[in-house]
Parts: sequence; C-alpha cells; structure tokens
Amino acid sequence: VTRVLVVDDDPSLVKALRIGLTARGDDVVIAHTGADAINQVALTNPDLVILDLGLPDLDGLEVCRRIREFSRVPVVILSAYGDERRKVEALDGGADDFITKPFGMAELEARLRVAVRHAAARDGDGGAASGSTVVGNLEIDHVHHMATLGGVQLHLTGREFDLLSYLALHAGKVCTHHMILKDVWGPGYGEESNYVRVYAHRLRRKLGDDEGVTLKTVPGIGYQLVVDPQ
Amino acid sequence: MPSTRANGTTPERAVMGGAVALIGLVALALAMLPIRTHLTVAAPALVFVIPVILGVVVGGFAPGAVGALAGFLLYDLLFLPPYGRLTVQSPQDWIALAVYVAVVLVVARVVTNLQSARQEADRRQQDSTRLFELSQALIGDSTRAQLLDHIAETVQAVFTPRWTALVLPVDGPSGESEGPALAVVASAGAALSDEDRASLIDGGGQTRSLGMMDGSAPSRVAVALVASNRPVGLLVLHDVQFARQDRSLLGTFANQAALAVERAQLLDQALRSRLLEEIDRWRGAMMGAVSHDLRTPLASVKAAVSALRQDGAITSPADRAELLELIELQSDRLARLVTNLLDMTRIESGALSLQPADIAFDELAGEALDAVSGLVPPDRITVASPPDLPLLAIDHVLISQVLVNLLENAARLSPDTSPIRIAAQPVDDPAVPLVEISVADDGPGIGAHDRERVFEMFSQNSGGGRAGLGLAIAKAFVEAHGGTIWIDPGPTTGARVVFTVPRAARRP
Repeated sequence: VTRVLVVDDDPSLVKALRIGLTARGDDVVIAHTGADAINQVALTNPDLVILDLGLPDLDGLEVCRRIREFSRVPVVILSAYGDERRKVEALDGGADDFITKPFGMAELEARLRVAVRHAAARDGDGGAASGSTVVGNLEIDHVHHMATLGGVQLHLTGREFDLLSYLALHAGKVCTHHMILKDVWGPGYGEESNYVRVYAHRLRRKLGDDEGVTLKTVPGIGYQLVVDPQ
Repeated sequence: MPSTRANGTTPERAVMGGAVALIGLVALALAMLPIRTHLTVAAPALVFVIPVILGVVVGGFAPGAVGALAGFLLYDLLFLPPYGRLTVQSPQDWIALAVYVAVVLVVARVVTNLQSARQEADRRQQDSTRLFELSQALIGDSTRAQLLDHIAETVQAVFTPRWTALVLPVDGPSGESEGPALAVVASAGAALSDEDRASLIDGGGQTRSLGMMDGSAPSRVAVALVASNRPVGLLVLHDVQFARQDRSLLGTFANQAALAVERAQLLDQALRSRLLEEIDRWRGAMMGAVSHDLRTPLASVKAAVSALRQDGAITSPADRAELLELIELQSDRLARLVTNLLDMTRIESGALSLQPADIAFDELAGEALDAVSGLVPPDRITVASPPDLPLLAIDHVLISQVLVNLLENAARLSPDTSPIRIAAQPVDDPAVPLVEISVADDGPGIGAHDRERVFEMFSQNSGGGRAGLGLAIAKAFVEAHGGTIWIDPGPTTGARVVFTVPRAARRP
C-alpha cells in the first residue's frame, strides 16, 4: 500500500483524486493548505506527495523547499499550463516530477509509479556512498569510474560518465538543465543548456534503445533517467 | 518693456536734455553777468561746460550740440568784449571760444557712446535673462500644452508683435492615412481671427506662403523650428517691428523651442508606448486569471472521467456515483463561469442591458443557495433579514450570481464546517434607496492592503492563492446596478463582503 498525500485547495479535484487513487489501492491523505501539507508529511510519513503550486497560504515552491529540509519523499508537482518558470523552480527546489493540469488518471498513476520506484531504489542502496548505483540493468561503479549496461561495459568519456552517474543517482527525478550544469559541469555554469543537449545525445546513443534504462528528454526543462517497466 | 527695445534715446528725453542744457546755461549766465568784468576769459567757458554735459547725460548727443551752440553764443555775446556783439577782439578770446566748443562736443560724444553701450549691455542682459527663463521653463516637467503656451507667450513678451502663433503638425482626425496636418497649437497676444488662422493653414492643413520679411505690411516673420535636422514646427510673429539684433535672438529662441517641442513629442511617444505596455500586461494577467478559473473545474472533470474510464479501477457504485456527481457539478461551474465572463464583457462593452424586476431578498437568497447546493452544504449557510425589508429592483440572474460567487469564495477559504452568514438590511440613510447585502465567513480574512485589489480582474491574495475572477465579476454586476461592493474593514476574524443594490419603490 502506497500512502499518497494530495495537496490542493480545490475540493473537487482533491475528491476526484481521492476516489481514483483509493480505488487503485493507495492510502490517500489530504491537505488543503501548504502549512497543513508540511505537517502531514511529518505526521503521516507518506510515500509520495502530489503538490499543487497555487495554494491559499504558502507558495507551492516554498512548501516543496520546506518538505525537502527534513524528508526525501518524492514530490510530484501539479502545475497549470503556462507555469513553466515556476515548474522549473520547483524541480530545482527538490521536486521530482511534474504533471500539467488537466491530466488523466492513467498519466498521473504512471508518474507516481516512476517516482515511488526510483525513490525506493535510491533509499535502498544509499547512493554513491556504497560505491555503486544500480538503475535497472545499468550499474555505475563510482570508485572505478566504470559503467556497465546488462553486464557490458560502456565506453564513456569523463564528462559522459559524470553526467550518467549524476542522472543515475537522481533516477526518476526530472533534472533541469540548470541543476545538471551546476552539479556536473561546475558552479560557474548554469545557462549553457546546449552543452547538456550534446552530451545527452551521445549518452543516449551509447545506452542504445534496448530494454533497460531510458534517458527521457523533458522538453524545455531537462532530462530524466527512468527504468523501463518490465 | 517696449521702450527699452528702441535704440538710443527717445525724442522726449532729447527735448528734456535740451531744456536742461539751455536753462542751466541761461541761469549760470545771469548769475555771472554782474561780475563779468572781474572774471578771466576762460572762467565762463569752464562754467558753461557743466549744463551742456548735464543735458547730454539726460538727452544724448543732440541736446549736447544745441547746448554747445547756445553756450557759444552766450559766451561770445555776454562775456567776451565787446559785449553784445559777435565780433571778438583778441585772438586769445578766439582760442577760448574754440576750445569751449571742442571740449563740449568731444565730451558729449564720449558720454553718448558710453550711454548707448550701457543700453546695449542692458538689452543683452535682458535677452539672456529671457532666454534663461525660457530654457528653464522648457526644461521643467510641464505638459506639452503648457510648454507650447509658454513658448508663444515668451516670444510675444519679448518681440511684441500683434500676435504670435506656434504651428505644429498634429495627427489628423482622419487617422494616419493622410499623414499629420498642421494646426495652430498655441498663440499669444491679440486673438487670432479666422482669416489669420486661414492665412497660416488652409483647409488641408498645408501652410500658405507666409510673407517672409518681404516688406509687405503688416510685416510677418516666420521661423522654422528645426531639431535633429527635422522640422518640428513653425513660429509665426505677425506685425512685428524688428531690429537687426532681434533676428539672432529670435533664432536662438526658435532653437530652444524646437528642442523643447521635440522633447515633448518624444515624451508623448514614450508615454504612449508605456500605456500600451501596461495594457499588454493587464491583458496577460487577465488571460491568466481567466484560464486559471476555467482550468480548475476542467482539471477535476478530466481526472474524474479518466478514473471512471480506467478498466476495473472504480468498482464501488458509491465511488462511481460520487465521481459522476462531481463531473456534473464541475461542468455546471464551468458553464456558469463562461456565462459570467460573457455577461461581464457584454456589460462592460454596453451590449448587455439589465432586466431589473422587483424581487424579495429571500427569493434571491434561495436562488443562490440552490446554485451552490452541490458545493456548500446548505446547513452551513444562514440567511438573515428584517421582516420589513423592501423588495429589490434588480436583475435577479446577475445579482444571484454575485451571491453565488461570494458564497463560493467563502466556502473555499474558510474551514469546512464553519458557518457562512448572508444578511440584508436597508442602508442607514432612509433617503438612499439602496439595500445592503453581506456575506461573512470565518476564514483567514483579507488584509487591509488587499481590500481594493481583490476586486481586480487578476488579483491574487497575499498568500499566493488566487482569489479568482469571482470578485471581479461580482464587482462588474453590482456596479452595473449602480451599487458598490467592498470588504468590510470591521471584523477582526473572517471576511465580510458587502454590496448595495437598489430597492423597489413599493413595499412587499
């Protein structure tokens, strides 16, 4: 059973999500305000948070930041069409994925599955601390700077390896161009999204399009490394 | 002011100077007459210099010349023997006479030159003061109209023509197609007659021949105002007396005026583009608010429908019923919003006219309660009104919508089970035929600085949550009835929105 915290101030959308998610077998917790949402994360320890950006009391971005101060729970942002800038800010601020209103339940559920699965994997192996990261059939050996896909070694340049290991560490999360540049290229970078495009293209070629992991482009936002569902 | 523009001295001053010289000469001659045998040859000559110089100081060179002649005659006749005759005895006396005349004439010349130099300096001083004042005024942040008036008035004051007119290109009433037409935008001095105007501009807005200093009477001077190699206008002085120096002064004035006019035109353009920007921003914000309010119910409908369509997802009949009800209510909300938006734009453009009819307040409240019954449980809402409340003379469709919007907001922004109170009462002043209706809730309330803003089309209360279009629509509908709507600043908890509507003439 997955416990989902739904944060939105529109009672009818909350009701539709509650019924839809409960029928799927989730345990649904509701918050109508940002302050309540932060409390509920601390109190009910949800497996996932669905967070609307436009709340009556606190800005959704602020709510996301405050949740990140004490919890690694995956946060999926509900954003309105045309809210691109705020969406990117939320992802930079620690949100994992976003979905644009209006959306269908099937799409929402797919996003939730990805977020939950990757969060579980991330929490399980403890990331780079253990020396290696496994995402589907992709294995990254941080100590020896080696990556294997289905047991076959990938031939990567230094930067390609850095990018792949960063995306693997944040598998399932939508990483914005800005985040990637700052964390992989260095603090002096941030606007040169064409660099990321070039390397993402090379990585994708080397990863191939077999079963396993996929490097997804999120148009205008960034990249997301996801495990293909079996 | 006009007299100072003339060169040299006036005839009056010359006559006065002559009088001073002559009277002084005669008086001194009479005074010295009894003792003339005791005086040397030179003494009267020296004495006679004084009144003549005084005359020059007062009246310029002409009185000096007259005084010199008179002094010469008096000296010769009365003080050089033989007395009473023009003949002169000794060569020594000839020398005295000649020296006297020479000294007086030379001194008169020098004094006159000094005086006219001083007058010229004064005039220049005045010119530069004028110029300074003009440029000060032109730099100041006055409106374009003030600026143009000021230019015309200053030119009028300095050059004293019969009238001064400033002709500028203005946007023709027929729009851009014919290009700008010329118009007299400012004038000073005597009022311009229709013929005067016609002589500057003909029907099509083209300038006529302006008689540029061609000697034809009355003389008229026109100066083009040129800034950045581009003519910006024309300054016309009608019936003006011009000295040579005045031409360059007028040129300087024209340059100053041209720069100021150009600057004013640029300022106008800047203002206009800022206005357009503002309109763009407003339009963007309005589109944002409209799309947010339309999308919110749409998001619920889509989520509910897609949940229902998932195979085998929703198995409980109660869940199915609940989702279907939600879809219906949200579709209604969407439909209502679209109707409201259309009504509002039609009211604002004047296309929708009100259909006022007499209706009891209870009936109106009932209509609103029915409309929100799906969103707000009826037991949360209380309705209070005095039994003798007059009927309302309103378009009940629009005003019940106002109530619905206020109830929706109240329900959304206050705790789930807290009461919402609707009340009505006649306004305190019985002379005012209005009824005050209020909706109060126990929500977080509205901060003082947001009380005006929440009624704007794109307002967002300070917390970040959108107040939506509800209040903007309510405001438009209430104002269409000649009423007003405001947030009661009184209560310390919750929000209380109050609006007034007209009451019917007859009692219920």
